[in-house]
Amino acid sequence: MTRLRSSGGLLFFVILAALPSFNLAHWVLNMLIFTLMFAVMASAWNLVGGLAGYPSLGHAAFFGVGAYAEALWFGHHSVTSGWEPFLMLPAIGVLAALIGWPIGAVAMRTRTDVFAIVTITLLFVAQGFAFNLHSITGGAQGLAVPPGPWSAATYDRPFYYVLVALLGLAVGITAATLRSKIGLSLAAVRGDEDKARGIGVRTTGVKLLAFCVSVGLTAMVGGVWAYYEGFIYPQFAIDPLITIAIVLMTFLGGRATLWGPVLGAFILESAQQLLAYQLGGSQVYLIAYALVFLLIMLLLPRGILPTAQERLRHRRRRLDAAPGPAGTGSGGSAGGTSRSGSTNGVVASATGGAQA
Amino acid sequence: MHALVQGLILGVLTAGVYALMASGQTLIFGVMKVVNLAQGALVILGAYLAYQLFVSLGIDPFLAIPITSVAMFGLGAGIQWLFLRPLRKEDRSELSLLVTFAVALLIEGVLSVLWHTTYRSINTGYANDSWTVFGFQITLVRLWAFLLSLAALGLLHLLLNRTRFGRAVRATVQNPESARLLGIESDLVSAFGFGLGAATAAAAGSVYGLLYAFNSGSHYDLISRLLSIVVLGGLGSIGGAVLGALIVSTSSAVIAATISPAWSEMTFFVILIAILLVRPQGIFGSTARGAL
Amino acid sequence: MSPLLEVTELTKTFGGVHAVDGCSLAVEAGTVTALIGPNGSGKTTLFNLITGYLRSDSGRVRFNGRDVTGLDAGALYRHGLSRTFQQARVFPQLSVAENMVVAGGYGWRQLLGSRRVSRSDRARADELLEEFRLSHVADLLAAELSYGQRKLLEFAAVLMSEPTLVLLDEPTAGVNPVMIETMERHIRARHAAGITFLVVEHDMTFVMRLCDPVIVLDQGRTIASGTPAQVQSDALVLDAYLGS
Repeated sequence: MTRLRSSGGLLFFVILAALPSFNLAHWVLNMLIFTLMFAVMASAWNLVGGLAGYPSLGHAAFFGVGAYAEALWFGHHSVTSGWEPFLMLPAIGVLAALIGWPIGAVAMRTRTDVFAIVTITLLFVAQGFAFNLHSITGGAQGLAVPPGPWSAATYDRPFYYVLVALLGLAVGITAATLRSKIGLSLAAVRGDEDKARGIGVRTTGVKLLAFCVSVGLTAMVGGVWAYYEGFIYPQFAIDPLITIAIVLMTFLGGRATLWGPVLGAFILESAQQLLAYQLGGSQVYLIAYALVFLLIMLLLPRGILPTAQERLRHRRRRLDAAPGPAGTGSGGSAGGTSRSGSTNGVVASATGGAQA
Repeated sequence: MHALVQGLILGVLTAGVYALMASGQTLIFGVMKVVNLAQGALVILGAYLAYQLFVSLGIDPFLAIPITSVAMFGLGAGIQWLFLRPLRKEDRSELSLLVTFAVALLIEGVLSVLWHTTYRSINTGYANDSWTVFGFQITLVRLWAFLLSLAALGLLHLLLNRTRFGRAVRATVQNPESARLLGIESDLVSAFGFGLGAATAAAAGSVYGLLYAFNSGSHYDLISRLLSIVVLGGLGSIGGAVLGALIVSTSSAVIAATISPAWSEMTFFVILIAILLVRPQGIFGSTARGAL
Repeated sequence: MSPLLEVTELTKTFGGVHAVDGCSLAVEAGTVTALIGPNGSGKTTLFNLITGYLRSDSGRVRFNGRDVTGLDAGALYRHGLSRTFQQARVFPQLSVAENMVVAGGYGWRQLLGSRRVSRSDRARADELLEEFRLSHVADLLAAELSYGQRKLLEFAAVLMSEPTLVLLDEPTAGVNPVMIETMERHIRARHAAGITFLVVEHDMTFVMRLCDPVIVLDQGRTIASGTPAQVQSDALVLDAYLGS
């Protein structure tokens, strides 16, 4: 089963890597690039929002950190081979993780809803910094990133491949996490954090680690985005809609699953492009987007993959139960009570009735 | 020194409006444990309604409040009934963040279709009148806005303490389980609570429209401010919301007057982080239950 | 020899109410000590203070020869002091086996280096699950267990870290008579294997059968301690239970 799943994953990446060789139209590749960006960010968000159960609404701030880091560095350094901005990405990831550490340490003292509030506030503050620190960020005028030296016909390809690699990294990290004790610890944090701490789970450590890795990956995407766009403005580099999109994609595909965020990104980003294409102007588009959003939340609150898994489980259970009433899965009546001896037990409840 | 005092006066007067907006927000949280990210959008919607009533019918924004708040009470109850009631209890607090954000986007989209994205402001005849007291300038509109906000908060207090529904709301906030045992219909109370929250947004919207220019995207500016106020005061506490509004708005007005308006937006975040370091549950918040 | 657990003058107030009020007690190694008292006498608060879930206002806790006052729950757990909860807190979305493994108290090297459920983890978990007769449900989600099974699972899981002292908060609350007996058998077996217990319990016949000594708490302080027989005849205890 696991081998089947991992070879499926491998096939997915092989197809992704092969796609540009089919001479796709420019707009298709462009759309795929944005889809990949969101897929990486949704996977990254899933580490902290899904696995650890801390729904950050501030991830776009770190996307902005990556974008500005890229733009600022290459405002002073030249781009010759075209690959330098990509080689900067690991450093950007580490930088964002370092910035994320103290922020996470404070914000993660709060739980679910307050955590969401603190992180969304962080996002607006980061946007405020981008607007107000004129001397560094250029304020509302934004910053330029020098373009790569590639011809227009194949300009998209390096970005595409780098994003496929980043997606591989994000999915790989998620898979490794799920398989390690970190994943188990995060699941415990999500389930009942106080209890988890009480049984020796390193709650603070693992959730902070998840947060830092998550924002690091997000910043790397921001770096690629800045290079791809060639020009960044505060309202797009740090955009609440980016956060919301990646959260929504993760919810749609399935939180805390390996492929859910990727699936959600592919569905939602295509739908979004389609809506934008059909409806043109941003105003009606916003209404349609909000309605799609609401429909997903109301109809599929747990996401596609978990819902499908649940169905499968039920069906399998029914199949198991079919041969005879003494199926394997019935854990109801057993549980260590197999010996008879209830005659003595009744006495126990004589004075034991006064429980809370 | 003069700038500081002027900033303080401005801050306190503005705090009234923010207290009103935030009390709606905290009320909704208290009743349903839902962080309403659409509260800012509701305020802006209220501002547009007041604007339209003023432009088309010449109704003064202050007098428009009874009309708009009744309409928005219905809207708020409708939002609760349609979008929040169906959410499952286990992950309601997480999902509701997204659902209310979607509602905010929906409102923003509708507003920008109806009124486009140009900035609007409500220019009443008295919009620029001001008094000068001991050399300090007090804009009349701000003073009225402050007084009105106090009155609305007072009304809210009466509603919660003197009416049957209000008492049901408070019981639900304090202990949802026993409220249910007492036969309080929680869906109905939630709809009422959300409606009440939206109605306060309508009142605050009228006032906001008088004080500031706004467009459909203005709710983004409001929401982080409102959320900080609510977290500062402790989610679910109206007294806390008032105090939080006072802290946030005076400190940012003082920073704006003494350092630079651009940085005033940052002050509340610094305060928020500082408070969270000491008391993660806010000034008045209790981790488990709310209190109104 | 000093006691395994020694609580001195522990105090905790909530908004002016003294939940635990200068409480002192000692648990000797090798005993099954009961902690009883009327509702609201501060038993659960005391448990939370001892196990690091709450921070005391004043007073000291010594465990295994060292001062552990103010240590957090995780650190205490790794030092061999573990507990269960009255409402049986397990992780419903994890499997029964994972619920066992997650309680292993791992360091960073194991967190980063070993698999989610390694073969040796699984072997250890299976051994305990066998002992607690939960083997047949090992791969079900904990959410699918009955309440009594969850209580057993929680108990079994804290044994993964090989504790010296286990605090049980109402192990028999809300379970059927057969399960009460099962629970008693497991406590006896583990006691025989060298674990010391401190048990909060309302079921008096259970306490009298199983525990010695018995410590009685009222209004946040210890009012009596001794053998079950001594405590049962203590005037103060009768007073506390029957009300004055």
